[in-house]
Amino acid sequence: MSFSPGVDPCDECEKLLQPYLDKQLSDSELAEAEAHLEICSYCRKRYVFEEKLRMFVRQAAVEEMPPDLKQKLSGLRTPLF
Amino acid sequence: MARRLHAFLSHNTTMLGWPAMGETTPEQDPRKLAEEARDRVRFEEEALDLSDQVYRVARRLVSTREEAEDLMQETYARAFRAWRSFQPGTNLRAWLLRILTNLNIDRGRRLQRAPDQQPLEEGDYYLYNRLEESGREPNNDQDRVDERLSQDDVVAALSAVPHDFRDVIVLVDIGDFSYADAAQILEIPIGTVMSRLHRGRRILKQELAEQTMETA
Repeated sequence: MSFSPGVDPCDECEKLLQPYLDKQLSDSELAEAEAHLEICSYCRKRYVFEEKLRMFVRQAAVEEMPPDLKQKLSGLRTPLF
Repeated sequence: MARRLHAFLSHNTTMLGWPAMGETTPEQDPRKLAEEARDRVRFEEEALDLSDQVYRVARRLVSTREEAEDLMQETYARAFRAWRSFQPGTNLRAWLLRILTNLNIDRGRRLQRAPDQQPLEEGDYYLYNRLEESGREPNNDQDRVDERLSQDDVVAALSAVPHDFRDVIVLVDIGDFSYADAAQILEIPIGTVMSRLHRGRRILKQELAEQTMETA
């Protein structure tokens, strides 16, 4: 299955990038994207990059909680008596 | 203020199917009091166990560490006061983040431009294309993203994304919340979560492209 004639297949593939990685594509859209990715290294490279980018953003955005903040939060607990 | 707090908590808990706070008056029966104390301790411990995860999201919702710390303390103070309104078995992390995002919004940061007024974003290939133009494109599919982008680039780019988009990216892509959870936390329709996520990721990539070009 391929994209409709008359459209730029790479433009169409670009539109499917996010829902592809989110696993939100319909069966027919998935088939279209995969058929195009089989033959198009331009799009394939960008899909691979996007997947790695998401993982990188997730890791890079992490900043651990300062240790004394946990103690402060614990100090907000209701006294038992 | 008290009425506003009550309205906030009632509204928030109703949306998620949790009972409103203040409906339960502790019995004076010692056994009931002991049961309640035990439930409260358990709630507080579970909430504290999640604090690292809540902080990671909080830290990226605001600009500075100080703001994140203040927000965390306000959130936990409120959560500990309102613990009865949490329904055991539901998603405590989402419940805490809902309090936190509401407090963050109450801080008046909605004065920024509305999402519809944001400029149109570039396509999803934009960042890769910019890297390619600058001669930093990958030579093959095994190339590592971290050779071309730094952690600082990501942090700076994320903080440059407008709040409405950033909130959704932080909850879904960093906090691992589902679209449905993000919709409940932010009190917006699930379709809005999806559209803001889609546009927000594109804006993030534009910001990343700018960051990397500046640092090149």
